[in-house]
Amino acid sequence: MNTLTQQFQRFLPSGRKVVIGLPFLWLFLFFMLPFFLVMKISFSEAALAIPPYSEIYSFAEQKFELMLNLGNYTMLAADELYISAYLGSLKVALLSTVMCLVLGFPMAYAISKASKEAQNVLLLLIMMPTWTAILIRVYAWMGILSNNGLLNGFLMWTGLTSHPIEILNTNTAVYIGVVYAYLPFMVLPLYANLVKHDQSLLEAASDLGSSTFNSFWKITVPLARNGIIAGCMLVFIPVVGEFVIPELLGGPETLMIGRVLWQEFFNNRDWPVASALAVVMLAILIVPIILFNRSQAKEMEGRA
Amino acid sequence: MKRFGFSRLMLVLGLAFIYLPMLILVIYSFNASKLVTVWGGWSVKWYVGLLDNSQLMGSVLRSLEIACYTAIAAVALGTLAAFVLTRVTRFKGRTLFGGLVTAPLVMPEVITGLSLLLLFVAMAQMIGWPMERGIVTIWIAHTTFCAAYVAVVVSARLRELDLSIEEAAMDLGARPLKVFFLITIPMIAPSLAAGGMMSFALSLDDLVLASFVSGPGSTTLPMEVFSAVRLGVKPEINAVASLILLAVSLVTFLVWYFSRKAEANRKRAIQDAMDQTASESWQPAAKPMTGATA
Amino acid sequence: MKMLGRTLLTLSLLGAIATGAQANDKVLRVYNWSDYIAPDTVKKFEDETGISVTYDVFDSNETLEARLLAGKSGYDIVVPSNSFLAKQIKAGVYQTLDKSKLSNWKNLNPVLLKNAAASDPDNGHAFPYMWGSIGIGFNPDKVREVLGADAPVNSWDLLFKPENAAKLKACGISFLDSPTEMLPAALHYLGYPVNTQDKQQISEAEALFMKIRPSVAYFHSSKYISDLANGNICVAVGYSGDVLQAKARAEEAGGKVKVDYSIPKEGAGSFYDMVAIPRDAANVDNAYQFMNFLMRPDIMAEITNSVGYSNANAAATPLVDEAIRNDPGSYPSQAVMATLYAVPDMPIATQRIMTRGWTRVKLGK
Repeated sequence: MNTLTQQFQRFLPSGRKVVIGLPFLWLFLFFMLPFFLVMKISFSEAALAIPPYSEIYSFAEQKFELMLNLGNYTMLAADELYISAYLGSLKVALLSTVMCLVLGFPMAYAISKASKEAQNVLLLLIMMPTWTAILIRVYAWMGILSNNGLLNGFLMWTGLTSHPIEILNTNTAVYIGVVYAYLPFMVLPLYANLVKHDQSLLEAASDLGSSTFNSFWKITVPLARNGIIAGCMLVFIPVVGEFVIPELLGGPETLMIGRVLWQEFFNNRDWPVASALAVVMLAILIVPIILFNRSQAKEMEGRA
Repeated sequence: MKRFGFSRLMLVLGLAFIYLPMLILVIYSFNASKLVTVWGGWSVKWYVGLLDNSQLMGSVLRSLEIACYTAIAAVALGTLAAFVLTRVTRFKGRTLFGGLVTAPLVMPEVITGLSLLLLFVAMAQMIGWPMERGIVTIWIAHTTFCAAYVAVVVSARLRELDLSIEEAAMDLGARPLKVFFLITIPMIAPSLAAGGMMSFALSLDDLVLASFVSGPGSTTLPMEVFSAVRLGVKPEINAVASLILLAVSLVTFLVWYFSRKAEANRKRAIQDAMDQTASESWQPAAKPMTGATA
Repeated sequence: MKMLGRTLLTLSLLGAIATGAQANDKVLRVYNWSDYIAPDTVKKFEDETGISVTYDVFDSNETLEARLLAGKSGYDIVVPSNSFLAKQIKAGVYQTLDKSKLSNWKNLNPVLLKNAAASDPDNGHAFPYMWGSIGIGFNPDKVREVLGADAPVNSWDLLFKPENAAKLKACGISFLDSPTEMLPAALHYLGYPVNTQDKQQISEAEALFMKIRPSVAYFHSSKYISDLANGNICVAVGYSGDVLQAKARAEEAGGKVKVDYSIPKEGAGSFYDMVAIPRDAANVDNAYQFMNFLMRPDIMAEITNSVGYSNANAAATPLVDEAIRNDPGSYPSQAVMATLYAVPDMPIATQRIMTRGWTRVKLGK
């Protein structure tokens, strides 16, 4: 029995290699390889074929020819539509992240202060609506915000307004929809962080004469820094590329890069341009993330 | 106390904000009229109709199934990745790994979906798998995507953990695997739970990825809903959403009930133990102390 | 290790055999538009032939196309619109039909077949399933209220003349969010060929839209259906069948809101949804059986009655509901049909110019 286990263990790579290797392998296979495909497509030209782009290399008569079409990238730079769309997305993402943070932090704080059973219940309460597909809930919002919808009906019934307010199909509706959809993703990481705060720190502070307000800003918030960053990342980054919500709730003037990408891809049938756009989007956002990871890693090494 | 009162208020307001559309959804699922904007009286006919609508119910079950598998796999994968990012000091390709882990978050879903589809098609041509796209391919796409979320949450937590406890355990002879399961995991449990819940939600919600990598006969709930709302939301959709809410509320109630019981049991056990020690240590003064020689 | 390798090999072989065996089973995979078939059509087919059908739905040509162009979609029957079909045929997506297997082909309307042949040379790859026009859906009461009793509801003037559009803004206008269907309407109105590649003409069409842009509430290809039915908007450019659906819903909701459809006298676009078999379909014989089944007059009539769109099956017309059969929007007269133009399919460069121009129109810049 022992020799068998020993023999088996000889074939197993060392624990360290498994831990690094497993996620690396998965991500390599199911993200890196597809990404290489996307890069390849971004260098090709749209064509009428299956799949709808030309091959970038050709091997004929013992000559290997690689043709990289940079036209897609130059077009992206030349046409100001993409830049404005991207800036538009960044703006929406930034504002929504701030709104989620302002709304979500007190919520997470209150949950972390509740009793143990209440915490579980509250967390589930927050997450439950996200388990009914976002589409259904967005459609519910469409019903509420439309000119004939419940909100306007309520406002007119109470006499606050005499005229339906145009909310649906405007940027306001998009903000409401995005905050609605992404709030749980801000609350959860914040909660996971806040719940592990050491209460004795706050007690010590109050014993030393600090007001609750002061302790909050000087102790709780700095300690929650990692949670805040995690929550902001999980809201900001996906919202930049968000498509469904602006499509359903936004108006024609809601210019976001997700919709532009969708258009390039589907309406123009231009997979190469769409791919080039995706590569650029990835490059722009991934660089700060990598820098952030590096600075965090240095900090960890400093502590160890 | 002032802070607490304010945050409690925000919590209530926030929950109200979250639940308002859900309430409307539930009410309208009982609407006898097909049009969402007209109230036609109370009726349960949409729920009854669901029993016949095997397509819709099938997609609900499929979505739930995929979401479960995704949550488990994403938490496992994401935690491993987070661990590597924060604990393993130096290895070749570290920056690349960091980028790989968070990249699925950044990449627009259309492109992730398309690229995975092309990958699966190429794989089918080269090695014969996956012959049919379906639940497995959707699960793979979702796991890759959700693992990024889990990794962000868990690594944030891992970074601020006090390393001395883990080091102490290892000094005392525990192997790294044991340390991980017995010490690290309980300390990051809320982050794991948060990551799992988010992955479940993301998988259930996802429309774009599933549209690309699904195959014939493997539609998910969002796909079903999106393709069915061309003519406006059907009340059956509201009925399905209400049922899901009901099911999860039941689960929430059970969780609350059992954790309350467990808490009460725990308190009682502590109380009993205290009473026991108190009664054992209280000796009537008359009883002589018989030789307590060791 | 060797044992492991051998087990894996056996398992994969078994798997391959199993999937191979499945291909001979009586299965059929259909990918059709949502809400585009009668509730019991598929069941009838299954009962008659014993073939078990997997019926999936999509809501936009683009989704279907992405699947088809990526390769190995897995479907045996798909239903694209004609302008998309044209491109897909050129890309080699479909197989040529063996008409000897389609005994019911004779039931199809020859005039419509000829129109469809513009996209599908010699009708070699598909048959027209349903067809419709792209005209004006409107609320007659509200429009008369705003523009008076002689409002030009039968003409594109209703929307393309800025003064009319400005007045109708108050009760709500919606356009389709589709440059390939809206821009040709403007081109046609201005007297230009709908498949023009002349940049000057296209930009004139764009300018026309720019003038009326401030009066448009939104651009969407399906929202107008429920909005017309509940009175949120009063004029929409829409698909004939969809507007009829809105009409039916408005009646269902009590009849306070009235909806009507008109084909503008200057001419409107027409589209055909075609049923085709992808080249890599696994169950080709079953697909032919399904096609033949769909071409039966009783089946086709039932689908029209349930969906609201007119079909391309001449033999089915007497079986269609009177209300639909006599509706000039669904079954227009020969004279009106002569004014219709098929939605064109354009080369990539022109398509890009149109899409870009349309984005500018939507942004209002």
